[in-house]
Amino acid sequence: MNWKNVLSLIRVERKSGRLIRGQRRTRYRENSFLAYWPYWVALILGLAIGLLAGVVSNFALAAGSITSAPLQQGVLSFFLSLPTLVLIYSLVFTMMQQIQRSGVRASIQVPYWLPITWQEHTLGSILASLFGFPLASVVFITSVIAVFSVFTGQILPAVLTSLAVCAAAFMASATTEVFRILQVRFIGAVYKSTGRAAVWVRFVGSLMFFIVFYVVYFYVTSGSGAITFIQTIASAQTAAWFIPFVWLGMTLFFFTGGLLLYGFVFLVLSLLFILGLFFLATQLNTRFGLYEPPAITVSRGIYAPRAGFLGRLGFSTIEAALIRKDLRAFTRRRELMSIFIAPIIIIILPLMQSLGAANAPVTQQFSIYSIALTFLLPASIMAMSLGNFVVGEEGQAVWRIYSSPISAKNLVKSKYFFIIFFSLVVLAITGTIGLVMYHPSLRAAILAPFEAIFLVFALGSISLSNGIAGADFTETPRPRMIRQTASLLNLGACALAGLAILAPFIPYVLSTTLSAIIPGSAMGSLLDPSQAAIISAIIAVVLTVVFYRINLKKAKELLRKAET
Amino acid sequence: MAINYAYTVELQRVVKRYNEILAVDNVDLTLKPGEIFGLLGPNGSGKSTTLKMLMGLIQPDSGAIRVLGMNVQEDPVAVKQLVGYAPESPRLYEFLTGIEYLDFVGDVYGVPTTEKKNRINEYLKALQLEGREGDMISSYSEGMKQKIALISAFLHKPKLLILDEPLTALDPRSARIVKDFLHELKMQGVTTIMSTHVLEIAQALCDRIGIMYQGRLLALGDMKELRQMSKLPDSGLEDIFLKLTGTDDLRAVVEELVK
Repeated sequence: MNWKNVLSLIRVERKSGRLIRGQRRTRYRENSFLAYWPYWVALILGLAIGLLAGVVSNFALAAGSITSAPLQQGVLSFFLSLPTLVLIYSLVFTMMQQIQRSGVRASIQVPYWLPITWQEHTLGSILASLFGFPLASVVFITSVIAVFSVFTGQILPAVLTSLAVCAAAFMASATTEVFRILQVRFIGAVYKSTGRAAVWVRFVGSLMFFIVFYVVYFYVTSGSGAITFIQTIASAQTAAWFIPFVWLGMTLFFFTGGLLLYGFVFLVLSLLFILGLFFLATQLNTRFGLYEPPAITVSRGIYAPRAGFLGRLGFSTIEAALIRKDLRAFTRRRELMSIFIAPIIIIILPLMQSLGAANAPVTQQFSIYSIALTFLLPASIMAMSLGNFVVGEEGQAVWRIYSSPISAKNLVKSKYFFIIFFSLVVLAITGTIGLVMYHPSLRAAILAPFEAIFLVFALGSISLSNGIAGADFTETPRPRMIRQTASLLNLGACALAGLAILAPFIPYVLSTTLSAIIPGSAMGSLLDPSQAAIISAIIAVVLTVVFYRINLKKAKELLRKAET
Repeated sequence: MAINYAYTVELQRVVKRYNEILAVDNVDLTLKPGEIFGLLGPNGSGKSTTLKMLMGLIQPDSGAIRVLGMNVQEDPVAVKQLVGYAPESPRLYEFLTGIEYLDFVGDVYGVPTTEKKNRINEYLKALQLEGREGDMISSYSEGMKQKIALISAFLHKPKLLILDEPLTALDPRSARIVKDFLHELKMQGVTTIMSTHVLEIAQALCDRIGIMYQGRLLALGDMKELRQMSKLPDSGLEDIFLKLTGTDDLRAVVEELVK
């Protein structure tokens, strides 16, 4: 194994994650301190939180509100859960990153033409997958426990945990590498055998994959789910000792419990498992690593121009062609399918929670939370996401738009219609689920869809303006579609706009909520809900029209600059 | 709208700079209707930038560009309507099939449906893409992608063709068809401006040739004029090119490499 080759591969992969958008820079030198900023931030944050936790626990001990033994036991059980927690977290994250890559790029295929062995390539790929959030998380966790353990006097367990956490992250990344090669090989075979249905097989398959992983991701990382998860890991991993992925946690468990022989056995087993994963990934890469995209045949021979349904809706031939092209992009490009996930997850997660709480009394009251969850949120998020991505998704093929006789009006009209159309489809689906699940009052059932439509139109228009101004057409290692700053700006702008549109309802909501909490406290609302809806509509129309005009200006600028 | 123009392309003192690099330096050029013009030059000499400026894909820092009698900056959509463009190593929409891509391009240029269907079928047949047109472009070879890009440049019968390395990756049969087709288009008054590194193609195909070097148009003319300029009366384009770009003394370079 040539370690210089491995380091070079990692460096290339790491840099490809920070491509400079459409700029012709000469004599470019990267600032190595700034290049590593996520890790510095994670380290500083970790040290600060570790220090804070240590000081707080010392105060608590001094004040006598807790005693030393339970604190140490609690900390230890937390430490024991960390390797498995990091493993699952890194696994989910690296898998999601992998599926969002834009196909297979030349950088992955360097063993084709460079004197690099598959071992070096595999190790480089595994380590490179860890860059970004997984590595920053590892840095954060290890720095927190390192500092905190000084206060609790558990330095040795902290050191062991830190090593185990690093090994767990590597284990996760190696598993992802195995998965990546397998999916390249077997999904290709599935596409070939399914023929024309391959497009839909891919769409549904990718959607299912995303849903499963996002559900796990949100469950592991959010609120009470995370706490339950950590408690479950701590208590259940000894029962699941036969699963290799918990062996690192088991190693810690035995070492910290003073059972050195068992600890040593599980340490050896863990190392063998990691080596086994690496060996498997290398073998699979050697066998299937060089990717040939499968030829998916969508139609055979016959040329069949589409009926001009969009034309009858008032769209020109150019606009209809753009809309049809985008529709195909969002149903065929794997990396774009993640956009459909957010609305689905928003519906699925609370459903899962309510199924989990089967013994709890089921309320049929259609709360504000339920309205937001089923009517307002999914459609609004869809409008925001599509608005953000619908221009940048053109990628490097954007030259086709620039070099074609497409005006700013054509571009904005077609892209905006696409946003509205998909968001309204989402609204129809999630709204129906809401009606079935929560049985809202007639007034809520009428007003909520209207409010959602107002939000979709306004937020779609606002997001499109950010999507045009912040379009990022870089495609490797994964399509960016929008610059981070523009995305954040959009989030803030949409939050403000959403608040403005829903503001007329605030007095009514406050009054209803207060009267539900404190009976007899109902305060007179300034506006009746139907009056509020009219004001809300006016605000939405103004925002939509103003931003639509801004969109036209920005699109004109985009086409003039023709920046890739 | 019929616009009268004496020249298909007019570049007047066009300058384009990328930071400290002068990509195009005071280029003047005029092309007549029905002319096939070859733009040659070493890598990084400014050929692609010049072609992109003609398409309005890059804005010049100074100078004027008129295409088909229109100002590219003032009415880019009208100019693009009459121009066919195939870039170097074109990135296509890989999630579309070949026929869907061409259908999209035809619609964007407003080609009537029946005409579009007939033309697409003819081009697919001529360039031997029949049978693969229903496959997603992601599975096409580079040559097949180049063919799709060329068809999409020809599809709407443009008045001006801007082709950046058009014959790269094409098989000999397809390359020959494209060359003959460009000749036929010339007879119909279509102007072609193409960049190429294959000097034999430029010599055989082009009425006039421009040689760019470090952003400047070093030489411009037909073969006879280029021979006179380079003072190489019996030479081919390769020798003329190397002499004019000052890169003719290659023996020392090769000897150094052999060491």
